[in-house]
Amino acid sequence: MDFDFSVITDHARFLASGVGVTLALAALSGVTSIVAGLVLALLRLYGPRVLRAGIVFYIDSMRAIPVLVVLVWTFFALPIATGLTMPPFWAALIGLTLHLAPYAAEIVRAGVESVRPGQTRAAVALGMSRAQAVRRILLPQAIVRTLPAFGSLLSVTIKDTAIASVIAVPELMRQSETVAGQSFQPIEVYSFAMLVYFVLLFPVTRGVDRFYRRVAHLGRS
Amino acid sequence: MTLDWSVVWAHRDALLAGTVTTIFLTVATMAIAVPCGIVVAALRLYGPAPVRALATAYVELFRNLPLILVVFWAFYVLPILTGVGLSPLATGLAALALNVTAYNAETFRAGLNSIRRGQTEAAMALGMGRLQALRRVVVPQAVRRITPVLASTWVSLFKDTSLVSVIAVGELAYAAMQVRAQTFRVLEMLTAMAALYWLLGYPQAKLVDWIQRRYAVTE
Repeated sequence: MDFDFSVITDHARFLASGVGVTLALAALSGVTSIVAGLVLALLRLYGPRVLRAGIVFYIDSMRAIPVLVVLVWTFFALPIATGLTMPPFWAALIGLTLHLAPYAAEIVRAGVESVRPGQTRAAVALGMSRAQAVRRILLPQAIVRTLPAFGSLLSVTIKDTAIASVIAVPELMRQSETVAGQSFQPIEVYSFAMLVYFVLLFPVTRGVDRFYRRVAHLGRS
Repeated sequence: MTLDWSVVWAHRDALLAGTVTTIFLTVATMAIAVPCGIVVAALRLYGPAPVRALATAYVELFRNLPLILVVFWAFYVLPILTGVGLSPLATGLAALALNVTAYNAETFRAGLNSIRRGQTEAAMALGMGRLQALRRVVVPQAVRRITPVLASTWVSLFKDTSLVSVIAVGELAYAAMQVRAQTFRVLEMLTAMAALYWLLGYPQAKLVDWIQRRYAVTE
């Protein structure tokens, strides 16, 4: 068995552009998911009753449908349903956000619910309004406690961007498939892609854990 | 835009066969990944140093790789490494099992580690052997913490089986997309696919919530 890794150096620029798209998609969908998740969680916790039921249904539904299905549906079916066509990157951003925001919402909710009710009561007793208590007492503690979970969500986000390859987003997975197909050297190309993903993902999980250990005391009460 | 939903019913056999394959993949992967996960976790916790390092490397590697890449890698590399040409189904199963085994191993390890060391020490002070203490004191408590995690891994696995469609394993996603390609009823077939996954997955997600409530550890 001969391996010839020159295929990697020959296509270095092409593969590097894939890494760029992977990182951009992960960063963007990470931000949109966290923002949407925060809104969903707050509405689920404090919103009007009708809205609450709808949000619970949406969150549980998204836990049941594979991200591949969400991405394919967003890219191929949504344009038919709405008449709007989107480039793959934006479809992937929407699909990933639809899929990941419920997870972010559940993380926020678990964090908020982990703060003892006495804290809110004490804040209200001190004269804070309910919104103030949430903003100044609950959320700061909850956010620190949810850091490890958000760290794994970030790593899930990076992994899920690879699934966007099925709707032809030119990220690392897709570019690797292209190079593997053209060069007939799938082993070298896919093994290299594995290395790159590992190098991207491993520091994320480790870095978040290390950062959390430093700030964990801020979440204790 | 005219929609023709009869196409879904007309291809019910293909969708049903895909659903069966999806369920088979989920069950078979878990059946492989639970015992293998226990072995890997045991090697990581109690094995000699080099074995421990190897087991740790395996777990960390597969937990930090996108599954879709593992599927492609298994499709192209396993036949060359093993010299045996595997069917797409067996390849998909192998990729899923490699991935879930790593997650399960971490679940078992974390579960066992979560039982305070004082428990083992107390058991040994009462005259139990190390194995006896593990079997009668640590494991029964760890099971309560491991079960809810295994349950959510199960739901993730159920969804992740859709990823083996990229190597033409005829599970639900592949079956639905094949019908879509033949009939060009894109919106209908993709919606039916999502609905079928929802029908199968929603009760499972609810069941996981129930298990998590039931096994909640309050300290």
